[in-house]
Amino acid sequence: MIKKEKLVEGAKILRAGKLIEIVGLGNVFSGTYHVEKTPHSIGFGNSFRTAFVVKPRNSDDIAKLVKLANDTQTPLVPVSSGPPHFRGDSAPGTGGAVIVDLTKMKKVIRVDRAHRVAMVEPGVTFGELIPAVKKEGLRLNMPLLPRKSKSVVGSMLEREPVVMPKYHWDISDPLACVEVVFGNGEMFRTGQAAGPGTIEEQWAAGGAQKTPYGPGPAQWYRLIQGAQGTMGIVTWASLRCELLPKLEEPFVVGSPDLDKLFELVHWLVRLRLVNECLVLNNSNLAALVAKKWPGDYQDLKDSLPPWVLFFNVAGYDYFPEERVSSQIKGISDLTNRIGVEAERAVGRVSAAEMLKTVQRPSAEPYWKLRYRGACHDIFFITTYEKLEGQIGVMQELANEFGYPASDMGIYLQPIVQGANCHCEFNLFYDPENPSELNRVEELSSFAVTALMATGAFFSRPYGKSARMIVNRDAAYVEALTRVKEILDPNRVMNPGKLCF
Amino acid sequence: MAISKDVYKEFEDVVGAENISDDPVIKAAYRSPDLTVVLPGNTEEVAAVIKLCNKHKIPYKAQSTGWSFMPPTYDFIFLDLRRMNRIIEINEKNMYAVVEPYVISAELQGELFKRGMICNVKGAGSTCTALAMSGHGHMGLTTSTGDRNDLATEWVTDEGEIIRLGTLGASDEWFCGDGPGPSLRGILRGGGVITKQATKVYHWPGPSEYPLEGVSPRYTLGKKPSDLNMMVRYFSFPSIEKLVEAELKIGESEIAFELMGFCPSMVSSNITTSNEEDFATLDKFTKEVQGPGFMVIIAGNFDEDFAYKKKALAQIIKETDGKSLKTVEDPAVESTLLFQCTRVCASIRETFRAGGMFSSMMVQGQRYDNHVKWLEEGAVLKRELIKKGLVIADDGQQFGWGEEQGHLGHTEIFCRFNPYDEKSSKAVQEWLGKLGKRALDGCFAVPAMGVLPVDEIGKRVSNYHVWFGKLKKAFDPNEVGENTGYSYVGADISGVHTSIYKKEPEKASPKQ
Repeated sequence: MIKKEKLVEGAKILRAGKLIEIVGLGNVFSGTYHVEKTPHSIGFGNSFRTAFVVKPRNSDDIAKLVKLANDTQTPLVPVSSGPPHFRGDSAPGTGGAVIVDLTKMKKVIRVDRAHRVAMVEPGVTFGELIPAVKKEGLRLNMPLLPRKSKSVVGSMLEREPVVMPKYHWDISDPLACVEVVFGNGEMFRTGQAAGPGTIEEQWAAGGAQKTPYGPGPAQWYRLIQGAQGTMGIVTWASLRCELLPKLEEPFVVGSPDLDKLFELVHWLVRLRLVNECLVLNNSNLAALVAKKWPGDYQDLKDSLPPWVLFFNVAGYDYFPEERVSSQIKGISDLTNRIGVEAERAVGRVSAAEMLKTVQRPSAEPYWKLRYRGACHDIFFITTYEKLEGQIGVMQELANEFGYPASDMGIYLQPIVQGANCHCEFNLFYDPENPSELNRVEELSSFAVTALMATGAFFSRPYGKSARMIVNRDAAYVEALTRVKEILDPNRVMNPGKLCF
Repeated sequence: MAISKDVYKEFEDVVGAENISDDPVIKAAYRSPDLTVVLPGNTEEVAAVIKLCNKHKIPYKAQSTGWSFMPPTYDFIFLDLRRMNRIIEINEKNMYAVVEPYVISAELQGELFKRGMICNVKGAGSTCTALAMSGHGHMGLTTSTGDRNDLATEWVTDEGEIIRLGTLGASDEWFCGDGPGPSLRGILRGGGVITKQATKVYHWPGPSEYPLEGVSPRYTLGKKPSDLNMMVRYFSFPSIEKLVEAELKIGESEIAFELMGFCPSMVSSNITTSNEEDFATLDKFTKEVQGPGFMVIIAGNFDEDFAYKKKALAQIIKETDGKSLKTVEDPAVESTLLFQCTRVCASIRETFRAGGMFSSMMVQGQRYDNHVKWLEEGAVLKRELIKKGLVIADDGQQFGWGEEQGHLGHTEIFCRFNPYDEKSSKAVQEWLGKLGKRALDGCFAVPAMGVLPVDEIGKRVSNYHVWFGKLKKAFDPNEVGENTGYSYVGADISGVHTSIYKKEPEKASPKQ
């Protein structure tokens, strides 16, 4: 393992000229280029100085950069989304790093209607890909209102939850295949893309880069997902897409009783009756749909019940009206049995408006920043029956730390076809107010520990608490480290993140 | 020869005298003169046995339910996991079940049916382990595949370390197998022994149990499928193109519970009880079908759902010029196919009964339409073998099915033959070799395990064998774990525990 001091020294001796040789004159920037003026979240850990920011143009550039990094022992930090950044995975965890900014790699390489798959470079955002796949009659299973600058590839590599649990067969979905330059500089393609043949030859033979697992018994993409850039740099990824419905009928169910709502969620997902399906508390729903701030936000929030379930029934090519009506019949039986009511609107929020909102990226400014200017998210995976208890723990802690629990946004997303639930607390705060910032930081730190004690699973740990979360299981860390040593033996990829 | 008495005693100390044997009679039952069989009862015993294997540099092979057993030709410890046979948990609310490796799919499915749920069952049949490892199944359209159903997992590595993936390591729970951080699910199939695993389960709209009547082997279902909001049909098409079109439309419209690409010969095998009856039925079907076909099972969650799915299916079949096989519309035949193909108790009849052995070229995970052209070439070659009387004279067809509503799939063609006929065996092996080479040359797919040397495949598939060799070395430094010809550099094509354990220096180290 290379020591941190040596890495810093390596970066120092690196000449900008070498980087320019690889990516071209206009694509190398000083380290200050990437510094964001306003922190939009916390938990980034120590901030280290960046040596350079480079913007590769293609996978060849990336391969050369990784080779150079190995030769000069320079840390690389891959970044595929534009600012504002939130979780700290793209902030260098050590000094002298070169940020590999992939936002220039913007090709939508292929959209294949027949195979329901798209292939994109890492700089492609949701706002760019949605219309490209729509033209072919396809749509994305995407996270809830990603920010405009969010990379599609970045989102998938982070295993972000998606809003249609029915199509979320595996937690890795919708990621299909990737081309990656591992930390040792070698290029590799995963899944069906691995070969035989080049990608073009595979297309000519009637194939698509769709099947994720393999080649061989390993599922390489799972080692790259969730790694926060510590294993290598993805140069393109393919993702499964879903068909655009011919008909959609959205509904909302408001209730103070989360148990009842999740009884309904369980059956909606289990019977595969709905596409989009998610639960928000009144703070988050108001933040999502409010147009005028701050007045509209508060009025909206006041008009809503504590919890709102949103779901959408869809019909496809064959008799869409009949399909939708048969599914609505099934849903009516469920709501009658459970004692809730599915409606077209709740408070001042209509289901139709919600549908439009969740099928596109956030408008500017990013919805999480509208209320207070910054937001810190605490999120984990859990099961339905634990939710009430975990929400209670978080609310109590918030009040204890002087953060009004009623201001906290809560987003509950069934994932993996109902086997799991993503639970997210959004702590909105004023980034210019040091005491607010400190309060949220302290609350966050305590909350992670307290929630872990209730069985909250922080499968995607970021920032300051990441090391504490990962290191709880020494055997797991030991195994991960062995994988890391194979893929990135000189530890040039994003050092200081997770347990590496 | 067996391991020394002293070493034997060390293994005996772990599992008890009643759970270890090198008795020749027992060895014969396992079809190998070279093994010492050890029956661990729990994870800790598995780990202790593997640690002893490492200490003494003795290779081991673990087996759960054992679809195919390829005994090594050197001394080894055979870990027979039959004592680890508990269903640990069925979690209805969060839709998963936790099993040990010797729980078979039939057992788990029986328990799940009572709760209105079902699990994926591997195509090899319901007597296979219910662990969610590999194995694509007939119900994959609805129940996904083994590679994607596993959640939290308890795994003993080839060094005997116990690793608990996902929530199991974090909070001793089973609902998630990924993280924190990267997911070690990525290397689960790299060796070691899975001792417990959570697998996703799915909604089952059918009955809590099948009311079977009759006696073996001629069971029938006491109810008509339509009484259960279920329907089974077999459709044939004028061309493979039309069949593929229909299959994709059915997947995209989300109307079928199961779509199984049975050839007529597979249907006839399933609904008959002897070879004679099988061939007579196949003859009848062959005259009735218009071309290649598949079987579909429709299952309604409620009346309106059932009605809608039937209507959409009828429209798709009309558009693609499909024709229903009248024999399968007979409720007696329909009901037999229903319980056999959802309980997945048909595979043995399809594969082994006619010739005693089968060999298959399959591609798991990739969609059927990707491979139609390639496997049609295989079908032509297969028919030549049929003409020469080297393999069983079925319809010579390839087959496939969609998984995850057609996002993924499975493609396969197999020859059934007499394994004691050297000419037949050789001809089938050559047929597989030709098909495998064509898969690579045509850039279609990675050929099935054992068809070509792994080095030949790997160098054309991102050198995955070299990378996998590195993983293997990292997690099995003493080379005691299983070493399949599919995966590892330096291994030959014969299957399990090959060259590196023959102690031949020139083959001993991976070529990396």
